[in-house]
Amino acid sequence: MQNQTICKIVESEIDLDKLLEELTQNTTGAVVMFTGLVRGITERKNPHETIQLEYEAYQPMAEKMMQRVADEIRLKWSNIETIAIIQRIGRLNPGKPTVIIACSAAHRDTGVFDAARYGIDRLKEIVPVWKMEIGPEGDAWIEGDYIPKSND
Amino acid sequence: MKQVTILFFATLRDMTGERRIMKMIPDDMLIAGLKDVLIEEFPRLKDIINSVIVSMNHEFAFNDAPIPSDAEIALFPPVSGG
Repeated sequence: MQNQTICKIVESEIDLDKLLEELTQNTTGAVVMFTGLVRGITERKNPHETIQLEYEAYQPMAEKMMQRVADEIRLKWSNIETIAIIQRIGRLNPGKPTVIIACSAAHRDTGVFDAARYGIDRLKEIVPVWKMEIGPEGDAWIEGDYIPKSND
Repeated sequence: MKQVTILFFATLRDMTGERRIMKMIPDDMLIAGLKDVLIEEFPRLKDIINSVIVSMNHEFAFNDAPIPSDAEIALFPPVSGG
């Protein structure tokens, strides 16, 4: 089986069990799956309550940039087998997975943890997705702080 | 003159009240020149234009980039996915 790269924006719930199957081939012995969730109560920095997050994407560019993140992962960690980068959009409730970065490899010491970490950090820099916070006090767009450079 | 499509996302859509516009621009216009034209049309962009991210045909685009015919240009704030 060949190493696959799965990059997509989805509107429906992400099936983690099915995804794990897709990440697994007969040489796979390790999968690291990072999941971001909608946090209902934020305690760090500016404590507040979140009722929902509404995600929006510039879909064709987002999927292209996800592919770029996956390509960068493969350049840095050549032993990674399958990579999945999935962002869910629409209105999401607390406790729900919003994003998945998953990497599979033969063994856990192949850089597979670092690869998944790099994937989520990079997604938050270059993949055009935005979220609006829907809270008890009203709605507000959340903005990142990364300004892309010419080699992004 | 050439035609381009301009898309606005998130705060930029709220600020301009537009999701998508078509525009005729001079053949030799660069991204920097297009920003000036958009600031004239949407004065609220003036104060934030330096933190606006621009893409052209699904790649990040910078001030000195020439604009090809039928380009799809998007303006958006720093991304906040995840």
